[in-house]
Amino acid sequence: MELVVALGLIVFKVALLIAFLLLLPLPLTWVERKIAGHIQQRLGPMRVGWHGLLQPVADGIKLLTKEDHIPAEADHFLFKLAPILALAPPFVVFVAIPFGESVSVLGNEITLYVSNMNVALLFVFAVIGLEVYGVIFGGWAANSKYAVLGSLRTCAQMISYEIPMGFAVIGVVMLAQSMSLLDIVRAQADVWNIVYQPIGFFVFFVAGLAEAQRIPFDLAEAEGDLGAGFHTEYSGIRFAFFMVSEYVIMLLVSVLAVILFFGGWNGVLVPLPPLLWFALKVAFFVYLFMWFRFTFPRYRYDQLMAIGWKVLLPLSMANIIITGIAFS
Amino acid sequence: MSRTQNSIGTWIGWTFFADLANGLALTFGYMFSRSVTMQYPDKEKWLPYSRYRGHHFLKRDEEGEIKCVACELCARICPCYCIEVVPYEDEKGNRRPLKFEIDTARCLFCGLCEDACPADAIALGQQYEFSSFSSRDLVIGRDDLLAKPGKAAMGGGVVAARLDTKKDVLVETSETRGYNWWRNIRRT
Ligand code: SF4
Ligand code: SF4
Repeated sequence: MELVVALGLIVFKVALLIAFLLLLPLPLTWVERKIAGHIQQRLGPMRVGWHGLLQPVADGIKLLTKEDHIPAEADHFLFKLAPILALAPPFVVFVAIPFGESVSVLGNEITLYVSNMNVALLFVFAVIGLEVYGVIFGGWAANSKYAVLGSLRTCAQMISYEIPMGFAVIGVVMLAQSMSLLDIVRAQADVWNIVYQPIGFFVFFVAGLAEAQRIPFDLAEAEGDLGAGFHTEYSGIRFAFFMVSEYVIMLLVSVLAVILFFGGWNGVLVPLPPLLWFALKVAFFVYLFMWFRFTFPRYRYDQLMAIGWKVLLPLSMANIIITGIAFS
Repeated sequence: MSRTQNSIGTWIGWTFFADLANGLALTFGYMFSRSVTMQYPDKEKWLPYSRYRGHHFLKRDEEGEIKCVACELCARICPCYCIEVVPYEDEKGNRRPLKFEIDTARCLFCGLCEDACPADAIALGQQYEFSSFSSRDLVIGRDDLLAKPGKAAMGGGVVAARLDTKKDVLVETSETRGYNWWRNIRRT
């Protein structure tokens, strides 16, 4: 009986998480288009629903009913596999993400995470790396020059940012003496890691921008020079998969930044419910991502690699050394 | 000396991403400035200046007679051959158009017909909302042309509009002329 209840709870949590993550891109696209509009002194979507609130729904219906086109010369197997490969890892990663300690419902303590892995951080980085295969396969399978160029850039981009990103969080692990995200947040109860790890945060954030493939590092789908990059040939629901994946990764990088460097659900000054603190911080980072997108131009991809190898990597190593000396 | 200081200052600025922060501050400021979007056709619309070349109209003289003398000069000068005039003699013995048709689907709104007309009978007005699902509807006859709105005295203003163009869309304007496009655009 105990086991059944525990299992049922996990299934329920996973279902809730998946539904939440699948639906979240709807409001996020609306917010992004509104922010884009207002930064450019436009209004953004206005006509579907109040202030265009139903625009994402309309877009979703449009994408679902569009023809699902596969180019004649494409590699059909990989072409169909790629969107799923891009979509699944970001969802899987959220299994290891804690959203808070626990809440009590009807006298039972229910934890706000699916699992508390002791190597959660390692898991996150390992799984999120898989997402890149979706992008690479998608670009390759489409048999279009723009798509191939997009996925080539992704390869170059991936090796330049994943290493600094991995190194950047080592400082956090050293401070918390644990790789469990729960322990990392608990260790920040008094002082957030950003105070001790400004360099680590900087490296993590820049690499995270590259990870989420957002401007200024959205080389894989640079609209200006590559059509739409790796998903040029995708349409309909498969295209929607790539879009959802992009938004979930953006959310993931924000969540990781909050958990690793900004104290997770630990609040300051104002006593708010922990979950609300968490949501507010994540929302801030999501806003930051969108704000960046409509402010900065795109880096060339040799510049991205130069930044990755010549700036971020030495910085992250220096960060490890400094942390090691200062806190040992 | 000032130059070295400058370059040191630049380097310090670069280290702390002064230029990126500047850009972010600018876009943040813009985010809370007023938008310049004109919500046509939901809320407002642009009323063009009187020099605008929109839909043609035929004029009447003081007695309410059509001014056109059916000389066919406009049909001759028209680069698209989209005017067709058939003259007849009315009761008073004047030469008038029996048929006066403009195929606005082919018209390029060059305004040459207006320039060529010796009787000042035809002109291009400010109306620009006459799209149609059928190109046949775009062939406008004499009586329709006479009924078209003439040139408005004012222009360059923003007037309220409604989505339903079947109803009368022209509402009294709040800002009669010279809508200042730059008003909401901050230049720094
Ligand atoms: S505006 Fe130009 S194209 Fe149109 S009817 Fe007059 S002369 Fe012809
Ligand atoms: S509109 Fe003017 S130019 Fe054309 S037929 Fe009439 S009088 Fe002649």
